[in-house]
Amino acid sequence: MTLSEIADGKLAPRLGIKLDNISKRYGEHTVLDDVSLHVEPGTVTALIGPSGAGKSTFLRCINLLERPDSGTIQVDQHTIEPGKDVNSRDLAALRRTVGMVFQSFNLFPHMSALKNISFPQQKVLGRSKEEADERSRQLLERVGLKDKADQHPGKCSGGQQQRIAIARALALDPAIMLFDEPTSALDPEVGLEVLAVMRELAADGMTMIVVTHEMQFARDVSDTLVVMADCKIIEQGDPRAIMSDPKEARTRRFLRAVLER
Amino acid sequence: MEALSAVLQGLPMTIMLTLSAFSIGILGAVPLAVGLSSSNILVRLASRLFVDLVRGVPIIVWLFLLKFGIQIGTFKFNPVGAAIVGLGVVSIAYLAEIYRGGLQSVPRGQGEAAHALGLTGGTTFYGVMVPQAFRIVSPSIATYLTGLLKDSSIASTIIVTEMVFQSQAFARQHPTVEGILPYIIVGILYIALSLPVAYLSRRLDSRMRKAVSV
Repeated sequence: MTLSEIADGKLAPRLGIKLDNISKRYGEHTVLDDVSLHVEPGTVTALIGPSGAGKSTFLRCINLLERPDSGTIQVDQHTIEPGKDVNSRDLAALRRTVGMVFQSFNLFPHMSALKNISFPQQKVLGRSKEEADERSRQLLERVGLKDKADQHPGKCSGGQQQRIAIARALALDPAIMLFDEPTSALDPEVGLEVLAVMRELAADGMTMIVVTHEMQFARDVSDTLVVMADCKIIEQGDPRAIMSDPKEARTRRFLRAVLER
Repeated sequence: MEALSAVLQGLPMTIMLTLSAFSIGILGAVPLAVGLSSSNILVRLASRLFVDLVRGVPIIVWLFLLKFGIQIGTFKFNPVGAAIVGLGVVSIAYLAEIYRGGLQSVPRGQGEAAHALGLTGGTTFYGVMVPQAFRIVSPSIATYLTGLLKDSSIASTIIVTEMVFQSQAFARQHPTVEGILPYIIVGILYIALSLPVAYLSRRLDSRMRKAVSV
């Protein structure tokens, strides 16, 4: 069984997501300036760019952890206009469709690894404890952490915690996964285990949007590379093409800084 | 030994007062703590005003106000009622402030992760925030409980027959050297009562720390 078969439980359809004209400002300070991005089902989109470009904010706007001031989000027949009132049914549907993995893992420290993965399944999908635990164990096995089921997150390494966090998100059968710098808080070697799980997910056809500084991953795994700078998308397209021959001077400057160090 | 049995007569009342007021505080402080961290500024200000008002006035003043200052129709507080309500309301205010501190010290990412997973506000609060906040504040709550145990003696001023009241009554009837004895006894009793609380809280704390240690 592949990771995504476990992940979609044969129920979750492959979905894409369309974001149009997303803008966000904090007071006078603009963070996102009219950003649009269309993600095709089953593709991997890597978001790169200098810090402060708005990558993470943009990603967090997708599942409305940040509320954009204007724009539209379309996913699975739901159209959400975050500038206006969002009804709780649309919000719940959006968050059910979209899973998220954070830079700082954000596992619940008072629950075992197994409970971290089972608890949301029981609460959000209404699965019984037995069903949820069985699914959790499958996922833990797939991310290589079967023996950590009863450990609390504090007893696990960063890489293990992040893999548990990925399992926790997958357990809810998301159609789309967001990754917010999933390896930035990890030692380079430990980050590899997390990247391996992500590569496998991508190979299984999960729709993924990944904010990352891992250029190798962005080049090898992503179908679309999106470069953000100064609150905008300045360039997007085939990752190899952009990395070898960027059109924009700003992209070139950024790539030189990260690739030629 | 006469003194001891006199003081012991007040023991059930002391325990009853403390536990009643503590229960009122533990439960009543939950909505108030939510109010204190509400994003609605009016709710937050009202909660803040209540906490500061209650904490700004000495307990003895609240007890006198409740006992002698309140008359609604034919209703007046009896001494025990006034003491329970007074100590209870003060507990609500103090514990709400303790809870608020605990809730705010739970990392922001915890709430974000819960929202991203699609957990409802209620599940996020009771399943994710409260258990973590409780671990953080349980030593403070135990400290408050031992403080409350001693503060319950203030009820003696409005003629509630708890331990200190009984000590005073005994001392008044035996104005000799013996008069000091009930106070020594009552002091020892207070220590004896607070030790188990402190011990239990330390054990609970270290057990929970072990469970979630980083």
